[in-house]
Amino acid sequence: MRTEQDALTTTSNRLHPKQGEVIDRSTTIRFTFDGVEYTAHPGDTVASALTAAGVKVLSRSFKYHRPRGLLCCSGHCPNCLVQIGDEPNVRACTRPVEPGMEVRAQNVWPSLNRDLLSLTQLGSRFMPVGFYYKTFIRPQKLWPLYEHTLRHAAGLGEVDIDTPLGEFDKQYLHTDVVIVGGGPAGISAALSAAETGAQVLLFEENPALGGHLRFTVPLESSSTTKASKDLPELLEAVDRQPNITVFTDTSVLGWYQDNWLCAVKGARLFKIRTKSVVVATGAYETPLIFDNNDLPGVMLGSAVQRLVHLFGVLPGGQVVIVTANEDGWDVAADLQSLGVNVAAIVDEREPSACASPYREGLTNAGVPVFYRHTILEALGSNEVRGAKIARLDGQGEISLATAQSLQCDLIVTSMGWTPATELAYMAGGKSEYHEDRAEILPVSTPPGIYVVGRAAGTHAVNSQISEAQRAGSNAAAFVGFGEFDESTAYSSGVLEPRRTSERVCVPGKKKQFVCYCEDVTDEDVETAIAEGYDSIELLKRYSTISMGPCQGAMCSMNTIHLCARANDWTVQETGTTTARPPTTPVTLGALAGQNMEPVQTTPIHQWHLDHGADMMVAGLWLRPNHYGDPAAEATSVRERVGLIDVSPLGKLQLTGPGVPELLERIYTNQWDNLRVGRVRYGVMCNDEGVVLNDGVCAHVNDETWYMTTTSTGATTIFEWLQWWLQSGWGEGIHLTDLTDTYSAFNLAGPQSRTVLEKLTERNLANKAFPYMRLRSAKIAGVSCRLLRIGFTGELSYEVHCPSGYALHVWEALMDAGREFDIAPFGVEAQRILRLEKAHIIVGQDTDAMSDPLSANMAWAVKLDKPDFLGKPSLMRISAEGPKQLLVGFKMVEPNVVPDEGLQIVESEADGQLKIVGWITSSRFSPTLEEAIGLCWLPPDIASQNGASFTIRMDGHLAEARVHHGAFYDPDGERLRM
Amino acid sequence: MSIQLIRQAFNGNRPPQRMWHSHELKEQYDVVIIGGGAHGLACAYYLAKEHGITDVAVLEKSYIGAGGSGRNTAIVRSNYLTPEGVRFYDESVKIYEQLSDELNFNVMFSQRGHLTLAHTDGGVNTMRRRAEVNQIEGVDSRLIFPDEIKNLCPYLDVSDHPRYPILAALYHPPGGIIRHDAVVWGYAHQADVRGVHIHQNTEVTGIKVKRGKVTGVETTRGHIKTGTVLNATAGWASTITSMVGINLPLTTIPLQACVTEPLKPFLDVVVVSGSLHVYISQTDRGELVMGASVDPFSSYSMAGSLTFLEGIAGHVLELFPSLSHVRILRQWAGICEMPPDYSPIMGFTPVDGFLIDVGWGTYGFKASPIAGKTLAELIATGKTPTLIAPFRLSRFEENELVGEKGAAAVGH
Amino acid sequence: MLLLTCPNCGDRNVSEFRFGGELSSRPKDPSALSDAEWANYLYMRNNVMDAQTEWWHHNVGCGLWFLAERHTRTNEVIKTYPYVKRET
Repeated sequence: MRTEQDALTTTSNRLHPKQGEVIDRSTTIRFTFDGVEYTAHPGDTVASALTAAGVKVLSRSFKYHRPRGLLCCSGHCPNCLVQIGDEPNVRACTRPVEPGMEVRAQNVWPSLNRDLLSLTQLGSRFMPVGFYYKTFIRPQKLWPLYEHTLRHAAGLGEVDIDTPLGEFDKQYLHTDVVIVGGGPAGISAALSAAETGAQVLLFEENPALGGHLRFTVPLESSSTTKASKDLPELLEAVDRQPNITVFTDTSVLGWYQDNWLCAVKGARLFKIRTKSVVVATGAYETPLIFDNNDLPGVMLGSAVQRLVHLFGVLPGGQVVIVTANEDGWDVAADLQSLGVNVAAIVDEREPSACASPYREGLTNAGVPVFYRHTILEALGSNEVRGAKIARLDGQGEISLATAQSLQCDLIVTSMGWTPATELAYMAGGKSEYHEDRAEILPVSTPPGIYVVGRAAGTHAVNSQISEAQRAGSNAAAFVGFGEFDESTAYSSGVLEPRRTSERVCVPGKKKQFVCYCEDVTDEDVETAIAEGYDSIELLKRYSTISMGPCQGAMCSMNTIHLCARANDWTVQETGTTTARPPTTPVTLGALAGQNMEPVQTTPIHQWHLDHGADMMVAGLWLRPNHYGDPAAEATSVRERVGLIDVSPLGKLQLTGPGVPELLERIYTNQWDNLRVGRVRYGVMCNDEGVVLNDGVCAHVNDETWYMTTTSTGATTIFEWLQWWLQSGWGEGIHLTDLTDTYSAFNLAGPQSRTVLEKLTERNLANKAFPYMRLRSAKIAGVSCRLLRIGFTGELSYEVHCPSGYALHVWEALMDAGREFDIAPFGVEAQRILRLEKAHIIVGQDTDAMSDPLSANMAWAVKLDKPDFLGKPSLMRISAEGPKQLLVGFKMVEPNVVPDEGLQIVESEADGQLKIVGWITSSRFSPTLEEAIGLCWLPPDIASQNGASFTIRMDGHLAEARVHHGAFYDPDGERLRM
Repeated sequence: MSIQLIRQAFNGNRPPQRMWHSHELKEQYDVVIIGGGAHGLACAYYLAKEHGITDVAVLEKSYIGAGGSGRNTAIVRSNYLTPEGVRFYDESVKIYEQLSDELNFNVMFSQRGHLTLAHTDGGVNTMRRRAEVNQIEGVDSRLIFPDEIKNLCPYLDVSDHPRYPILAALYHPPGGIIRHDAVVWGYAHQADVRGVHIHQNTEVTGIKVKRGKVTGVETTRGHIKTGTVLNATAGWASTITSMVGINLPLTTIPLQACVTEPLKPFLDVVVVSGSLHVYISQTDRGELVMGASVDPFSSYSMAGSLTFLEGIAGHVLELFPSLSHVRILRQWAGICEMPPDYSPIMGFTPVDGFLIDVGWGTYGFKASPIAGKTLAELIATGKTPTLIAPFRLSRFEENELVGEKGAAAVGH
Repeated sequence: MLLLTCPNCGDRNVSEFRFGGELSSRPKDPSALSDAEWANYLYMRNNVMDAQTEWWHHNVGCGLWFLAERHTRTNEVIKTYPYVKRET
């Protein structure tokens, strides 16, 4: 066990300070990894600090729990996923260290270094690819137990239930050109585009611009010397260019239709609308598949260069470099110049194929070079102790007889690149396999989309720059700035040495990992293909290759090669899987941003809260459900007077000569005879004859009509009416949505007239202002519309007033009613009151299949008028007879209230229950002191007043009787008082 | 069956057994099934197994399971609203319960329980209505309240703070999730074993009809003579059916989903919220699989949108505020075709020999076994099984729609 | 995100619009139709995987219902234009 003291003193992997490093050595900060304290410098990532401290194992693999260490050091592979505090699955190689950070290894038991779950490897013979499909089948009873074990062995980080929601936000950006990737290509493209006058946004996922030039430091004779010397110049030019806005630490997550991009920087999500895009996203270095290729200490060349140059950390002291290109030689030269013992360069090519400028220097320095060799195996148990290499024969086969072991603690592979072209493919780009380059490259992209640099297969910096400059000006020209450069939009055929080997796998006898995320081996791939999962898509789904955290960055190219080989297909025939966003995993918090669930409140909202209202959700609205005692509220309406805020009601004004004809068509009842000053109730159906909405409509004056709709249906009905008006009905009609403009209150109860009279000079006498009439009046000095209607069954006035004065009117009404003991009432009391009147609520008593003939509203359907919406369907229902009817009921046991939703049943001969109906509304009526309700029943029962039926309640059956008409004041006398 | 198993067990070193084989396209088949998804393959399997009809071709334009079968969120349940729906899906659940055994392939049906949350009074009533219908039909389903919800799913915010507080939930213990691809592969394998020809990368380009009767199918690999064609291409059903001149009451709309990085298990039930348009479950591998309601406009495009990701993230955090650090790994879309009454359309059409298994909206995968089984019976006997009679195409003309739309909201 | 060109407001995000379904017209004289013909109007859709003429409503904009021709496989909007009632 490592002690704290050990940890603090083990800093030998830190190099001397050098130019370009991003750490601040003047300060030391502390953090812990699995409880052990480590030090770091500001600028360090968790992984660089741990590597500096000699920690090689950062995680355990998903299936076999094999130790895993740094591989890509660029935030793309799964090997360094750790838990940091309450945040799971953090990439240690890109997350900056912060003082006091608590870093933990994930999915290990009991600890990272002694993970007993790694014993699963012993049984790996029995756990080939897809083993779970073939095992645990019988007895099926035991499957839940197996499943429990499987589940608890799987998964990576943990979610802490106490994680605070955190703060996130979003920003919209609009621009001419977006450049994704701030390497030499991206910068050059940005500069060219910006020079034309186009607005350019330049996104870079790393903390600084520069791309690979930040950590590849070529020596004097390098072909890239010029460019890297130019980096400071490039950066300065970007600084000087006002048309470029740079976003670092920002990952572009996806391309969506019509150049809508999404990017994330920490807790902020960017939504970007651009006119053209240059994809300069570089490439992922492709790992080589060989025995034990996942051993900690096997790293990609670019990863080593990042560690060395950005963080001054040396991941090993003795290195074997396995390569097939000049990049590997660059790494070798780099490390050798830093005093690292380069134990060997293992290059699979002939000496003649090697064009590295460092070749001579390294050879002269005595570095052993093995041409036509490759690696067979990484030696060591928990970390690299050596490399076994062997010679390739004339056919490129391994000559096992030549195998030899070399001592080392670091194996670097530089075998080639997988272009990071996801965005180009999301945008509709097409790809092709270039055999001569062993890379799948974009061959065409939609207009306005350009791919440059390594993403386009261009590796030499000078070529990258010139190609990107051209693409940058073309991207700007596409938007209308400057002229098109007529040479090709991008070039993947730049003449330069090939960088990528076709050899992706060195066959062996031990475990070789194709997919690090999911622990899929080459053998698994072969098995899956032999089993019939031969296409790349089936292979992916069966083996789960590329479905883990790396999303194929490390494994997609290798898998395609293996799949092609096993099927004897070409790489082109094998094809690729679909690129899907996000390109980089993104948190739910960032995607969600601030909580934007909209809430609608009325002008009286605060008053309701101040008066103890229990608020309820009603669509987007918050409404008072009650103020403490809904039954008492209902009683106060029946006996005295009450006031309810019905502002959420939809309120529409229609003007024009054609309104009556329109109303005739959209309501099921008659409207052309409604005189000025009168109000009528109406039902709207769609053409299927389904009830859409109900409400009243008043004829205000000659050409003006005022309609109310249900509160949740207000928007829908408004848009629906707009459609009928604009698609040919009701020419010249003007429709205005006054839902928010007006607030509305219902003053209800026998004393309501007396209360209202106190606030107006308008004559409210029954004769002057009878039931179902509309009047204008000043109430407490405010011009209002009064509708004398009666959802509650009592004398009542719906007061519609401008929302700006709503609170004043409300308070005036409450004041005026004080002497009559007025009580505010909520939705619950209103539901009781309307149920006592057997008034239906659309959406509660009806559903998306209910017609008005069945829903006890035949009286509001006039089938003999000319065409109206739903008429043919209703005619048919009328002719065939409704299948169910909505009807009132009372309980035989008057105190038993059956819950809404309960089913009405009949017992069949075999004792089974048959469903014949259901309860839509039910309440205990405080007025009648018994349970009442509405329900759907077959017509033969529903049509007989007093017919008995049974409701299934808590497993027993309760008896109820059909009740026709209103339960309270069936003749409606109280409405007309 | 068992002999085969034992042989397999002792042949450990031999090359692995192929799940299905490639065949030349024959000139003629007794039955041609268009669509190599779970429905088509299940139908082929039951035709062969239960009716001895093995001269069957399953035509798949891509790879098997490429459509809805491999794109859904793998939720299986039977707590529907209408008795017809409940009976039908209950039969499906019963087949799923023993499907691993039957197919000798572990489809990993995890009956971990299914919660449909209600955030409004109306929602509670609908849940109660469903629970009651379910119970009467013999399906385990009941209404539960926040305390019990919290026990089943501690990470849910059951406080009254959220915009849409959780008032109750419909709890359906036999509901759960399954490995959807495994269902496809298991059926494909067992159909293949019985002689069914599965033709991948074979797209149907036309259907021959003579005097109102199907006579053959044109494909990208050649012509097939047949008197019986089943269109099992839910999502694309209109495009195939239009080849015989029939319009369907369908609108194709994308349905999107996404998945997070793997996490240690913390969510033991499937959680659905109609008000928030979201459903979420944790796979055996530890990922959260999440989906929403269908897209706001019709399309056959499976590109996926940012709007979906933003929306679902917000809604998931409403329900599970502690998940803000959890990362989305991948999003995708499938397409589904919505019929007016949110119920499938199965059986005969006006063209003799042309049968349909379409209109599967957002509820198709969970019906695969029973749909395959009943359609196989229909093809073999020429008679419509009682269980699927309510779902006939002619119901629209007969004004006999199925009432499943009443439970609308999110149907997962 | 798809851009739709509102005939009044120009290019706007599709999230500002409500989709109104494929273009179909209500029969001029419904009473003349058989039940089957009426059901056909109510329920049957072309649902093409091709260019489709369809209704859109600029519901958080100017309130215009207009027509779009959109390819339903690619979502490419071919054109948008205001509805003009044809006199027949």
